[in-house]
Amino acid sequence: MSLRENNNGKKKILIVDDSEINRSLLSDMLSDEFDILEAENGMEAAAILHVREHEIALMLLDIVMPVMDGFEMLAVMKENGWIKSTPVIMISAETVPAYVDRAYDLGVLDYISRPFDERTVRRRVVSTIMLAAKQKELSYMVADQIYEKEKDNRMMIEILSNLVEFRNGESGLHVLHIRILTELLLKSLMEKTDKYKISKKEIPLICNASALHDIGKIAVPMEILNKPGRLTKEEFEIMKTHSAEGARILGCIPMREKEPLIQTGYQICRWHHERYDGKGYPDGLKGEEIPIAAQVVALADVYDALTSKRVYKEAYSHEKAMQMILDGESGIFNPLLLECLKDLSPILKEEWDSVPTGDNPRKEIMSIVEHMMEKEELGASERTLQLLEHERMKYQFLADLSSEVLFEYRAMPEMLLLSEWGAEYLNMPVTILNPREEAFGNQVFSRKDFSHLLDGLKAATMENPVIEENYLLNINGSLRWSKVITRSIWSEGEPPKYEGAIGKIVDIHDHIVKVNELELMAAQDSLTGLLNHAAAKEKISSILSKDKEGKYMLIMVDLDHFKEANDRFGHLFGDEVLRYAADKIRACTRSTDIISRVGGDEFLVFMEYQEEVKAQVERIFYQLSGRYKEFVLSVSMGIVCIKGWDKDYKSLFQLADKAMYNAKSKGRGRYCFYEK
Amino acid sequence: MTVKECYEEMEGDFEDVASRLRTNERIKKFLVKVLNDKSFDLLCKSVEEENWEEAFRAAHTLKGVCQNLSITKLYKSASLLSDSLREGKRDNQEIIPMLKQVEKDYEHVTNCIKMLEKENG
Repeated sequence: MSLRENNNGKKKILIVDDSEINRSLLSDMLSDEFDILEAENGMEAAAILHVREHEIALMLLDIVMPVMDGFEMLAVMKENGWIKSTPVIMISAETVPAYVDRAYDLGVLDYISRPFDERTVRRRVVSTIMLAAKQKELSYMVADQIYEKEKDNRMMIEILSNLVEFRNGESGLHVLHIRILTELLLKSLMEKTDKYKISKKEIPLICNASALHDIGKIAVPMEILNKPGRLTKEEFEIMKTHSAEGARILGCIPMREKEPLIQTGYQICRWHHERYDGKGYPDGLKGEEIPIAAQVVALADVYDALTSKRVYKEAYSHEKAMQMILDGESGIFNPLLLECLKDLSPILKEEWDSVPTGDNPRKEIMSIVEHMMEKEELGASERTLQLLEHERMKYQFLADLSSEVLFEYRAMPEMLLLSEWGAEYLNMPVTILNPREEAFGNQVFSRKDFSHLLDGLKAATMENPVIEENYLLNINGSLRWSKVITRSIWSEGEPPKYEGAIGKIVDIHDHIVKVNELELMAAQDSLTGLLNHAAAKEKISSILSKDKEGKYMLIMVDLDHFKEANDRFGHLFGDEVLRYAADKIRACTRSTDIISRVGGDEFLVFMEYQEEVKAQVERIFYQLSGRYKEFVLSVSMGIVCIKGWDKDYKSLFQLADKAMYNAKSKGRGRYCFYEK
Repeated sequence: MTVKECYEEMEGDFEDVASRLRTNERIKKFLVKVLNDKSFDLLCKSVEEENWEEAFRAAHTLKGVCQNLSITKLYKSASLLSDSLREGKRDNQEIIPMLKQVEKDYEHVTNCIKMLEKENG
C-alpha cells in the first residue's frame, strides 16, 4: 500500500483544533507527505466530512473546542456512519483515564497526548492509516472467503436434495422455492414477534436446512413416490415414514450431532408434517411444541406443493392456494405464521413465477453480495473519487450558469451549503453552520418562515418529496418575493432516515408585483379609481360570509338628472361630474369602507355603523348636494341597515336598490331607508 | 538572542521543545505565532463578561499552545486557571489572582518573543 493516493494527490488529513498554532504545528509536521485540511471546531469538520467523507484518510481531533467539541463531533460521526470510514486520532492534553476511555469508546483508533513530538505524530498517523486500510482489506478478504465457503456448502446441500427431488420426479425448483419462502416467512415473523428468539444469523441456517426437509424420501420406494393416482392407506403409511427417516439419516452422521445445521435439519425433517392442532405425524406434537423452523418449512412446503404441478394434481392459482391454506383445508398452522403468509400475499402473487431458477438464489446471499460490491468499490476507489470530482465540477459549472440560489440543507448536524453564485448573491458564506442562528435563518428568511420551511422539509414524504412555497426574503436589504423549491432526501436502507434536502431559490418578485398590479387594475373603475361592482361584490360577500353578527349598511347613490349633464355640457363634462362625486364620497368615508361605482351614475357605499346611522348618511348626502360648475348636484340615496345577514349579497343589494327607487319616486334629492 | 536564550529568559524548557520540534527555525516560527494568538485576549474578555465556558476554553487553548511549545511557566499558570474554571470556580477572589499571574507570565513571554524576533530580523 502506498501513502500516495494517486499520481498528483497525497492522502488527505483533516486537522480539527481551535488553536491556529496547534493546527499549523501539526500541519508543519505532516504536510510534506499529506494534504492538510483544517477545521476550527467540530461543526466545520462536519461540514467538510459531509462533502468529502471518502477523501479524508485520517482525522486528528482536539477535545476542547467552541461550538462543537471533540466528543460531540465523535457522536455526530457515529450518527452519520463516518466513524466507520474515517479513522480518528484524538490529540489532547487530557490524560485523565475517563477522557481517554470515552474517546476509545466513541471509536477513535489512537490517542496522542500533548505535548506531541514530530516523530510520534508522523509514526502514529502513518500506522493508523495503514491499519485502517488493512482492516478494511482484511474484512473484505474474510467476507470473500465466507462467501466461497457458503457457496460450496449450499451447493452440496442442493445437490443432495435435488437427488431426492429427481427421484421424486420433480424439478429442483421445489427446494429453491421452499428456501425462498422460508426466508420470507422468517423475516416477516421476526418483524411481528421476538418470542421465538431467532437471530439474524439463524435465518440462512434454517434456509439451508430447509432444503433437507424431504431427504427421507430416499427411503420411500419409487412406485409410491411417483404414483399418479391416490395412494392406498398402506402406501400412505409408507410415504409418511419419510419425515422420521430423514431425521434418522441426519442423526446418523457421525461426529456431527452438535452441528447447528444438522440439528435444525433434524427438526425440519422430523416435524415438517406435524400440525398445530396436534394431528400431524410422526409424533403428534402440538402448538409451540413444534420447533419454529419446522413450522415455517411446513407452511412453505404446503404453499409450494399447492401452487406447483405434481404427478397427481395440476397447479392451483395463488388465490386458490391461499384460500385453501387459510380455510384449513391443507393442514392447521400457527395463526401468527398465517398472518405472515397473508402479509406476503402481494409479493407471492406478483413474483412467485419469476423466482430465479439459476444458481444465484437472490435473497439469502444478498448481504454477502453487498459486501462484495463494497469490495469492488474499494478496488475502484480511485475511479469513484474521480467520478465524484467530475460530478462536483459539473454541478458547480451548471450552478454558476443558472443564476439561481442552489442550496443543500443537512439536518444533522444542521448546516446549509450554498452554491457559489448563490452565496455571492445573498452575500453569505458558502457553508453556513447552524443556519437557524445565522443571518440566513433570521434575516434573509424571517425566523418564522425559516422554521416553517424546515418543518415542511422534514414533514415531506417519499411519495411527495418536492415542496414549492413563496417567501418574502430580505436580499441584501430589499424585501423580495422568492419561490423556494425543495426536495427532501432520505438515507438508503430500512427504515430510511431523513437527512435533509436540496433546493433552489428563485426571485419572482417582479412577477408577483406585476400580478398584483394587474389584479388591482382589474378591480378598479378606470374613470373614478373606485372599485368596480364585481370587485366590490366580492369584498362585501366575503365580509358577509365571515361576519354573521356585524352591523353594516349598504347605501346606493344615484346622481339626479345626470343625463342632463351629458346632454347639455357634453360627455367629457359628465365624466368630470362623476370624478367629482367619487372624490366627494371618498372624502367623507373611511379607507375601510367599500366604495364602488356600480355603473353609469350609480355609486355604492358599504360601511359599518354603530347605533346612529343618520349622521353618516347625511354626511354623504350633503357632500353630494350643491353644485359642480354649472351643474346642480343632487342625489337620491337608498339605504339598508343590517345586523347580521344570512342571505347573499344580491338580496342585500336589491333592498338598497328598492329604497333608492323609493327616494327617486318621492321626487329625488332625498334619502330613504329600506322599510319592510 | 538565541532561541535557547529566549527559552531561558521566559522560563521554558528548551531541551524538551528541541527534542520534539527538532530545528531552531521551526521553534522560532511557531514562537512568533504566539504573538498573534487570540486566546489570551479572549480569556480576558470572557472573564470580564463572566462567560465562564468561553473563559475555560480560552485558558485551555492557551495552555495547550504553551504545552506544545514547552513554555513551561506560562503553561503552569494557564493550567492552574483552566483547571479551576473547569472545576466550576466562579469566585473572582480566586480567579482574578490566577488571571493576574497568567497575564504577567503572558506579557513576559510575548516580550521575550518580540525581542527574539527583533534581534534576528
